[in-house]
Amino acid sequence: MADVTISTTASAVVPGPEPRTRDRGLDKRRFSLGGTAIWIVLFFLIVAPVGCFLILAVSPRLFQQGSQWFTLTFVRQAFTGYTGQGIFNSLWVSTLVSFLAVSTATTIAWLVHRTNIGARRLWSLCMWLLLLMPTWMMTLGWTDLLEPHGAASAIGLNTSWLYGEFFGPLGIIIVLTSAALPFAYFIVSAGLQGLGPEFEDAARIHGAGRTRTFATVLPIIAPALLSAIAISFAETMSDFGVAFTLGYHVHFPLATYTLFSAISNFPANFSVAAVIAAVLIILTIPPIALQSVVMRRSKSYAVLSGRTRAPRRREFGSRSRYLSSVGVGLIVFIALGVPILGAVIGSFVQNLGDATGAGAHFTLSYYSQAIHPSTVDNSLGSPLVLSNQLGLVVATLTGVMAIVLARRLVASHGGWSQRITDILLLGSVAVPGVVLGVGYIFFYNLSFITSHVVDIYKTLPLLMLALIASALPGQTRFMAGPVSQIQPSLSEAARVHGAGRFRTWRTTNMPLMSRVLVWGWLLTFTKTLSELAIAQILYPPSQEPASVTIQSYLANFQSGTGTAMTVLTLAEMFGVIIIALAIYRLVTPEGWRRTGWSVVK
Amino acid sequence: MVVEQLCKDFGEKVALDCVDLTVEPGSFVVLLGPSGSGKTTLLRCVAGIERPSSGVITINDVCVAGPRTFVQPEKRKTAMVFQDYALWPHLTVKKNIAFPLAMSSRSKEQKDQRVDDLLERVGISHLASRYPNELSGGEQQRVALARALAADVGLILFDEPLSNLDADRREQLRIEIATLTREAGATAIYITHDQSEAFALADRVGVLNYGSLVQFDTPENIYRHPKNAFVTRFTGVAGECAVTSATPLDDDFFDVALPFAPSHSFKALGIDCRAGDPSLHFFVRASGVALNAPGDDDGVRAEVIDVAFNGRGYEHVVKVDDQMTLTKVFSVRRFERNANVKVSFDSSACFVMAAQGSRSS
Repeated sequence: MADVTISTTASAVVPGPEPRTRDRGLDKRRFSLGGTAIWIVLFFLIVAPVGCFLILAVSPRLFQQGSQWFTLTFVRQAFTGYTGQGIFNSLWVSTLVSFLAVSTATTIAWLVHRTNIGARRLWSLCMWLLLLMPTWMMTLGWTDLLEPHGAASAIGLNTSWLYGEFFGPLGIIIVLTSAALPFAYFIVSAGLQGLGPEFEDAARIHGAGRTRTFATVLPIIAPALLSAIAISFAETMSDFGVAFTLGYHVHFPLATYTLFSAISNFPANFSVAAVIAAVLIILTIPPIALQSVVMRRSKSYAVLSGRTRAPRRREFGSRSRYLSSVGVGLIVFIALGVPILGAVIGSFVQNLGDATGAGAHFTLSYYSQAIHPSTVDNSLGSPLVLSNQLGLVVATLTGVMAIVLARRLVASHGGWSQRITDILLLGSVAVPGVVLGVGYIFFYNLSFITSHVVDIYKTLPLLMLALIASALPGQTRFMAGPVSQIQPSLSEAARVHGAGRFRTWRTTNMPLMSRVLVWGWLLTFTKTLSELAIAQILYPPSQEPASVTIQSYLANFQSGTGTAMTVLTLAEMFGVIIIALAIYRLVTPEGWRRTGWSVVK
Repeated sequence: MVVEQLCKDFGEKVALDCVDLTVEPGSFVVLLGPSGSGKTTLLRCVAGIERPSSGVITINDVCVAGPRTFVQPEKRKTAMVFQDYALWPHLTVKKNIAFPLAMSSRSKEQKDQRVDDLLERVGISHLASRYPNELSGGEQQRVALARALAADVGLILFDEPLSNLDADRREQLRIEIATLTREAGATAIYITHDQSEAFALADRVGVLNYGSLVQFDTPENIYRHPKNAFVTRFTGVAGECAVTSATPLDDDFFDVALPFAPSHSFKALGIDCRAGDPSLHFFVRASGVALNAPGDDDGVRAEVIDVAFNGRGYEHVVKVDDQMTLTKVFSVRRFERNANVKVSFDSSACFVMAAQGSRSS
């Protein structure tokens, strides 16, 4: 789930005011039917696959995976040896990464939103690009850059001193911190937007110096900081990309990889895998629940209406402005630029990393190989087309379902049914993609399911379902914030003045949500394109998504071709985003773009 | 518009308690009450954006809400001016106003002309292409008013439209609302918690408290013949105190003895008053209090606590013994703080009634 988790930013980005109470009677009939349908969908998408898998941790016989009805043997096994080391490593790395990411992100967010630092929109945009970039791509870029005779040496830089350090816990921490940075940035940014200048003004007027002023207003954004730490922790715990690419190769196991290897090794040990999965979920639910509680309690007064005003900025002198811009640029370069640079160079330079010293030189052969392989290996063409098709279907279906769920989440009259849905979605965010993938393998291969419910094991629809299940909670929470921000009176005014339900939605809600709808779709589409954990576990025979094809090239020492494929995939992701946003800008009225939730401010 | 036995609950909270109300065509009715009295809930039920728990609402002899009926808001042919304006931020001023005309049968030219006329009428033609967040509060409220008038419907609902405006804008816009609504010949239901606003606008005022319609009458009658202590207090008293005794006189008046002036007797209108009721209180309107020099024969001794100039004269806060403090006591002449004065009461602005009356009897 980590690969596609964009959610948690949403519930923290724009928590919104308390919606106005609505009449239970008016909605009761529709809600029962809708609520039941939602539960059925969530049950088959998430609850059943994950639940049945987790039961194996203590009761393998329940699903014919062992002889015991109840045992703690596998629990003990999971906490010792290689798997135990993986859990311990995940725990301390996630803790460290969350604090690093939040402190860095807070600094950047404050500079971007509350000062006149240069290129503000660029830094915000880079945070979005960071969000889109999967961790396995980041690792690939760093690897290509730093390995002996790698991309750095190809451009004349001696990085051998860094190589040994990077290929260990340090490298893992750097990449995971980079990956967690955008989550923390967006949450803290939202907190800063709720921090009006009047709080600082009041402190200064009443005699507080800069330090005391900062200490006085800091508690106002403390909820955002706590949320950012919680979400960064959860995202890092759930990450599979770094665990699969870097963690494994440097013999630094992480829990998500040990889980994957438990079912991919022979014989597969589903029970140990289930214990690891349970530990991952148990460790990630509290931070996410904390984030939800914190954001619910700290009310934001940012409301989408005709009366929204912009915050005031602190004016730096030219020297301070220059230095702060350079500082932020450096951080962004390390997080985003370095992996992209490494990957691009690695895709254009032959004999990179060749210890024989055959000499690195510029080439297009890797791209040629990627598109037209000279051997029986797969080209990127079909897998990339398949990934695009998956992305299109998954993003569209997820978007529609997410809007429905988001509206239910923010409605005030849902009662306990709404609360359960909220908890389900919240808990689902904590389910790593690898756990979901394994759960699907297990659940949809049960004879009862294949005989009496649906037989989609080892098919593309199963992969699609898993991808939707992975994206839905995140997408829902991503949309819940903006949905909750829309004043109910805007819809009420439309209804009172003659518009039916559909026209009301089309003329009031949809324009205000258009940007979040587009961005939500794009995020899900690109995440699906680059999704690794679920794709690796569930891809049907002879129908490999692009990420799986790329990994197989990298694993078979064809890193040049694999890197070229990575760059092509990344270029396509960014290309789709640029084209989609350009189309949005061209076809939508100006009013739609003036208001509502903004990506880059 | 007729409301019969209208009830609305939010869980255990009773927002409306069997309200009966009839609004004549073309009249301007103001619903007045404190926060939580149910006036907004009543308005929203009429608009159709809340569903009543029970009761019947009829608009133009058509039942729009009843035991087996609920007409959707877009079908009720009403218009509404919201407290937070509810202007769509992605539409220009012109498009906001034109919204209700989208479903009408007029031609495009007629619709454009109507919008232009309304822009002109509310004085914001120069703002037609602006967006709501570029307007001041008063300008936004004008747009909201124009939008409601554009609908050309028989019933316009106002949900405390002036509460977010500053004092001078409020007065100006109040006059425009009254004028434009009456020019359009529409029936208006307007809610506010401001008594002076209610009296200035209304043909009839409905006072609500705890979900009940306590009194529904002309502003004059509500002011001169309030139904109980709540209505009396909410529509403005200078002061009140417990009575020592109350003896009935002719014409519903009572001879009242007050603790701070045992040798004086005061004449006051009795409201559901029984002689000998220990809970009786004496109420006096600010308009019924006269300030005199200390040497005057007329009145009881008092002391000035505070004085404020209001343009036409002075408003004083006066303490009569320790029993009663009188506020907003007007005098053309200024009496200084701590000055001794005498106060006298005009019996037409004095009432005696049970102190705790709050709901309709």
